Amino acid sequence: MKRRWIAGAIGALMLALAACAPGGGASGRQEETAGKVTLSLWSWRVEDVKAYEKILAKFEDSHPNINVEFKPFQATEYNNILATGLSGTAGPDVAQLRAYGGLQPLVEAGQLLPLDDKVEALSGFDAKLLEGAKGHTDGKVYGVPFAYQTLQVLYNKKLFADNGIQPPATWDDMIAAARKLKAAGITPFAVAAGPDATWTLPIVHEIFGNARYGSTAFRDAVVGGKKKFTDPDFTASVKLIKDLEPYFPEDVVAVKIPDVQALFATGKAAMYPTGAFDLAPVLKANPSLEVGQFPVPPPPGSPVTTPVTPGWADGSFGVNAKSTHQAEALELVKWMATPEFGQLYATELKQLSAVPGVTPSDPLLAEMAKNYAGNGAPYTLLVDFRYGQPNGDAVFRDEVQKMLAGQADPESVSESVQKGVEQWFKPGN
Amino acid sequence: MPRWRVLAVFLLPAFLLYSVFIVYPLVSALDYSFFEWRGIRQAGFAGLDNYRDLLSVYPYDQQLWRAFAHNALFFAGTMLIQNTVGLLFAVLLFRYGRGKRFLQASFTTPYLVDPLVVGYLWSLLLNPTFGPVNALLKAAGLDSWALPWLGDTNTALPIVILVNAWQWVGFPMLMFSAALAGIPAEYHEAARVDGASAWQAFRRVTLPLLTPAIGVVSVLTFIGNFNAFGLVYAMAGSTGSPAGSTDVLGLLFYRVAFVEGGVEAIGRSSALAVLMFVFIFGVSLLATSYFRRRERRLV
Amino acid sequence: MKTARRAPGRVAVHLLLWGYAVVALLPLVVMLLNSLRPTSEVFTAPLGLPTSPSLRSYGQVWTEASFSTYFMNSLIVTGGAVLLGTAVSALAAFPLARYDFFGNRVLGAYFLAGLMLPIRLGLVPIFYLMDSMGLIDSLLGLTLLYAASGVPFCIFVLSAFYRSLPVELDEAARLDGAGEFRIFGQIMLPLVRPALASVMLFQFVPLWHEFLYPLVLLRSDEKFTIPRGLSQFFGEYTTDWSALFAGLVLATAPLFVLFVLATRQIIAGLTAGMSK
Repeated sequence: MKRRWIAGAIGALMLALAACAPGGGASGRQEETAGKVTLSLWSWRVEDVKAYEKILAKFEDSHPNINVEFKPFQATEYNNILATGLSGTAGPDVAQLRAYGGLQPLVEAGQLLPLDDKVEALSGFDAKLLEGAKGHTDGKVYGVPFAYQTLQVLYNKKLFADNGIQPPATWDDMIAAARKLKAAGITPFAVAAGPDATWTLPIVHEIFGNARYGSTAFRDAVVGGKKKFTDPDFTASVKLIKDLEPYFPEDVVAVKIPDVQALFATGKAAMYPTGAFDLAPVLKANPSLEVGQFPVPPPPGSPVTTPVTPGWADGSFGVNAKSTHQAEALELVKWMATPEFGQLYATELKQLSAVPGVTPSDPLLAEMAKNYAGNGAPYTLLVDFRYGQPNGDAVFRDEVQKMLAGQADPESVSESVQKGVEQWFKPGN
Repeated sequence: MPRWRVLAVFLLPAFLLYSVFIVYPLVSALDYSFFEWRGIRQAGFAGLDNYRDLLSVYPYDQQLWRAFAHNALFFAGTMLIQNTVGLLFAVLLFRYGRGKRFLQASFTTPYLVDPLVVGYLWSLLLNPTFGPVNALLKAAGLDSWALPWLGDTNTALPIVILVNAWQWVGFPMLMFSAALAGIPAEYHEAARVDGASAWQAFRRVTLPLLTPAIGVVSVLTFIGNFNAFGLVYAMAGSTGSPAGSTDVLGLLFYRVAFVEGGVEAIGRSSALAVLMFVFIFGVSLLATSYFRRRERRLV
Repeated sequence: MKTARRAPGRVAVHLLLWGYAVVALLPLVVMLLNSLRPTSEVFTAPLGLPTSPSLRSYGQVWTEASFSTYFMNSLIVTGGAVLLGTAVSALAAFPLARYDFFGNRVLGAYFLAGLMLPIRLGLVPIFYLMDSMGLIDSLLGLTLLYAASGVPFCIFVLSAFYRSLPVELDEAARLDGAGEFRIFGQIMLPLVRPALASVMLFQFVPLWHEFLYPLVLLRSDEKFTIPRGLSQFFGEYTTDWSALFAGLVLATAPLFVLFVLATRQIIAGLTAGMSK
C-alpha cells in the first residue's frame, strides 16, 4: 500500500509540473506509461482505505489499462474539498457523493456528469435508493448508489438471556424489559444526546416513532401538503423520546457517542437504537459480543400496526464533469453497479450494498435487509427535508435536545420543525 | 521623516504578501455575499438578499442574536477571569524567586496543545459518569456540586469560558510580564518613598503604565473571542450543545457554510462573515484609538 | 509586625502559584499516560494509570503514519512561514509605529483588518488563487499563505512594542548621522527581541495545528503536514485510542522544545535590555 502511495505521489508531482499551464484539465493526469490511465477516486471514508484498495484491485484485474487511486479526506471537511476539487486542477475523476440534499450543490453547479443513459444498470436499482442520487430539480441521476442504511435496535443477547428477556413483540413488552433491566442496574437504551450526538436524535426518533407518526403514509401526506409536522400523530411520536428518557443513560444531554458505544460494547447497556452502520464499530470494539437486532414494535395508538424499519440511501459514486478520463471513469462507475462490486462491498465493509440482488453475508445485516425489503420506510426528515435551509433534521435535533434538557415540550418541537421547513419547502415539490 | 523610498522598503514586503494571500481572497469572499449561489457557481447579483435571509429566515434570525449574546458573555468572562488572572500571575511572578521560569512555562503550556485536543481532554475530565472532577467533588462530600457540567444549559458556557481561560492565561501573563519588565525601577521606588502601600503603588503607578499592554491584550481578546471556534466546537459540537446554550458566531458560520451546506451556503455564510467583520473591525478600531489616547496622556 | 503580616500572604502566593501549576499540567499528563496504555484499557476507562506502560503506540504512529515525513513538512511550512511573516512584519511595524507619515492610520487599519476575519471564510477564493498560481499540492503555497496570515497579528503586537520605546533613542541616533536601516537594525530590533520571540511563538503554535488548508491544498501523501497526516491516520484507525494519544504527544512535543527555547529568549530579553 505504501509503495502505491509513493508511486501516486510521484505521479502527482510530475503532473503538477506539467499542469501549471492553464487549461490543464480537471484531472490533468498525463498518460504515465503507454496507454495506462490513472483515475483518482475521492471519498470521505478514511477508515475504509484498506477495504477499498482490496475492492479496487479486482477492478484493476479486469481492466488492465486502468489504475485507480483511492484518496480519502476527512469526512467533516469533505463537502468543501470536493466542491473546490471538482472545479480545479488535479481533482477527482470519480467521487463519492452525499445523498439527497447534500448532493444538490454539486448538481446545481454543473460539476457532475448525468448518468441516466450512460449506466444502463441503474434502471434495475430500487427507486427509493435512486432518489438519493438524483438532482432535485432536473430529476437526472448523478451517481451509482453504493449503500443504504437501516434503523433498528441492536441488543446484547447475553444480557437478554441473563435477565430472562425475549426480543419484544409489543411496545409494552419492550417497556417492561427496559424496566427490568434498569432495576438490574443495566442501562436499557444506549442513547447519546451530547455535543457530538445531536445528529443521532432524529435517528432515535425514527426508530421509536416512525410507526407512531404513520410511516410512509404520513410522509406522503406531508410532502403532498395534506398534513403538517404539527399533526397530533407526529407530536405523539416526539413525546415517545421524552417518555423513554428514564431508560436512557443519566444526564443524556452530556453523553457522547463513544460513551454509549463503550456502554453497549462492554455489556453495561442492553439495547442500542442505531443504524446498520454501527454494527461494525461495535463488533470491532468487542469482537466477542453477541448481538441481535429487532425493529421496534409499534407504540399504542400508532396508525401503523406492523414494525417498521426506516432507511435511506447513504450516497453514490459519480463522475466529474471536467474529468479528462471520462470514458475510463464511466467504466469504473458502471462496474460499481455490478453485483461483483456490490458483493465485495458488502463483504469487505460489512455494510448494506445498494446493488440489486446482493445479499449480505453477515446474518444480522441480512435480517436488517430483509426487514427493510419487507416493511421499509423513508427517514423523511433526511430524505425529503434537506433540500433547503434550515434542514428539517437540523431543526429537529436542536429542538429534541432542548426537550431533553427540559427547555421544550413535544408540541413546541413539532411547531419549530414545521416553521423551519416552511422557510423553503413548498408542498408538491 | 525618512524618504518615501525608504518607507517603501520597510512596508512593501509585508504589504504585498498580505494583500495577495489574505486581503485579495477575503475581499473576494466578502464580495460573494452579494451574489446568488448554486453550489460553487455564481448565479447572478443578489443585492442584499443574503443579508435579508440571514436576518429573517427561521431559525437563523434567532440563532444570530443568541450567538452574538454568547460571544459578548464570552468576552466579558474572559476579560474578567483570564486577563485578570494573567495580570495577577504576572505581578506575583515579577519578583518571584526560585521556580519562576518553571511556573511561567507551566502556565503557558496548555496553549501549546491544539484547542480541539484541549476541548476533548476537558470533556473527559468533566464527564459526569467517569470524570475525575465529579469523583473528587463526591469524595469531598459535595455531591450536589457534581453537576453534568457540559450537559447543563446553565453551566456549559461558563465551563467553556473557564477552559478557554485555562488554555490562554499564559498569553496575558507573558504580555504583562514583558510590560512590567519595561517599567523603570525608579518609578516603583518613587512611589514607595511617598509611603504608598503596595496596592496603592500598583493602582497609581504600575497599572497606568501598563495601559499599552492592557490595550493590546483587550483588543486581541475581543477579536479572538468573537472569532472563537475550535475549543467550543470540541466541547459543544457544531450546534453549541446543550440546547444551543454555547452557540457562538463562529459555530453559526461553520454550520451555515459547511455543515448544512446547501445550495446557497456560500452567499449566506459570506453575508454572516461580513456582518461579523463590520462589527469586530468597528469595535476594534474604536478600542485601539481609545487606548492610543490613554497612552498619549501617559507620555 | 510587617513580617508577621507578610508570612501568611507569602504562603498563600506560593500555594496559589504551585497549585495552579498542577491544574495547568494535569490534563497534559492524562494525554501522556493514555498514550502508554493499550486501547482496550483506554476504551473501558478513559482515565487511569497505565498498568503495564508500553511505547508500542509510538512505534506504530512513527512507522505506519510515516511521521518523520510529516514532521519535516510541518517544520518547513510552519518554520518558513513564521520566519517570513515575522521578518516582513518587523520591518513594516517599525515605520507604522514611529513615523507619522501620510496614510499611516489607514495602513495600520488595513493590516489590522486581517485579524477580524475567520480564515475559513477565504477557503474557496484561496483555492482558486493557488490553483491559478500552480500552487496546489505545493508546500511553497501553504508557506506563503501561512506567512501572510501571521502578518496582521505580528504588526499589531510589534507596533505596540516599538511605540513603547522612548523617542529619544532614534533622535539621538539620527543626530549621530545613522540611517533608518541602521536605527532599525541596530537599535530597535535588539530592543524588541523578547517581543519577536513572543510573536513567533504565538504564530507558530496555531499554524502547527492548522489542518483545514493542508486538507484542501495538499494532495500527495509525501507532502502532508502533521495534522493532515495524522487526521488520515486517525481516520484509518478510528478506534485506536492509544495510538491517537501517542500521535497527539508526538505532534505536540516539538512545540514544547520550541517553547523552552522561546521562553529563554523572552526572559533573557526581559531581564537584560528592557529597562529604559
